[in-house]
Amino acid sequence: MGIVIAVISGKGGVGKTTATANIGLGIAINGKKCVVVDFDIGQRNLDMILGLENRVVYDMVQVMDGEANLKQALIKSKVNPNLHFLAASQTKDKSVLDSQKVKKLVSDLKEEFDFIILDAPAGIESGYEHTIEFADAAIVVVNPEVSSIRDADRAIGILDSKSAKVKNGEEVLKWLIINRIVANMVQSGEMLRSEDILEILSIKLIGKIPEDRGVIDASNQGKPIVLDKKSIAGQAYVRIASRLCGKKVDMKNVEISDDGLFKKIAGIFK
Amino acid sequence: MFGFLKKKESASIAKDRLTIAIMSDRGQGFNYPFMDELKKEIIAVVKKYIEVRNIDITKEINGDFEALSIDVELNKHLD
Repeated sequence: MGIVIAVISGKGGVGKTTATANIGLGIAINGKKCVVVDFDIGQRNLDMILGLENRVVYDMVQVMDGEANLKQALIKSKVNPNLHFLAASQTKDKSVLDSQKVKKLVSDLKEEFDFIILDAPAGIESGYEHTIEFADAAIVVVNPEVSSIRDADRAIGILDSKSAKVKNGEEVLKWLIINRIVANMVQSGEMLRSEDILEILSIKLIGKIPEDRGVIDASNQGKPIVLDKKSIAGQAYVRIASRLCGKKVDMKNVEISDDGLFKKIAGIFK
Repeated sequence: MFGFLKKKESASIAKDRLTIAIMSDRGQGFNYPFMDELKKEIIAVVKKYIEVRNIDITKEINGDFEALSIDVELNKHLD
């Protein structure tokens, strides 16, 4: 029986889909069977990030409506056989989702996979509520920036009131990813520190991702950044995926860069 | 090298502003899904004993402390 994790953010454009793709692939690399599902109906993007856009035949709405079965709609990744992908519908709108159908899809996936990662749409509308309703856990993605953090807090509030687990008196697990950290801005006091963000949102941290130009390069090619062993963001996603798979991996302090420290010391002698 | 002492660091301004904005967001418009049901049931119970005009339930958050505040508005003619 797998665990269902919704990847949420509130605000759009913070790297939610990139996080979903990399965590999914990272889990697959750890040897666990994983499926990533794009719940952003009408704005399908996860297929591009994974480089699977040409292989989509059936989408998850067609599966929910019985027009296709799961086997037909699941796409196996070219880079790792443990990773599977289920595409969002591009032609329909968010209102097509229905609680009972989502519940059925999620429980069918739980039979097949160890990890079911759902990429939520931005915002806190019905599409978002359907994504979180049957999730066992949520990964909240924020940027160290005021609007992203405020919107994340609203999304967490809805998770705490609409989740089926919470309604049953159980706990829905919540973990935070802080994405796009610029170490020397944190050092100079121009960017919020991770401790401050955790305090404001009162949530547990699962990983910190440094800003990395390679992420755009990776999405251009449809090759998630975890595949690039030299990338600092890729390494950060590898650590997160390992933590999710139950490994103990120390939190690396990406808020201090060697580069920043060197520049500071050099600055003193200017 | 003492340039950083000139003004208040913007990250700490961000933290203060966010703390206040989020506190106020959390307090406002926050509703449990069962709020309407709860309201109806409380009205039914209180009505057995006394005339009720309206009931207002709000969730209040003050720091670490959370409370449900229930205001029962009575019909005036009763002592």
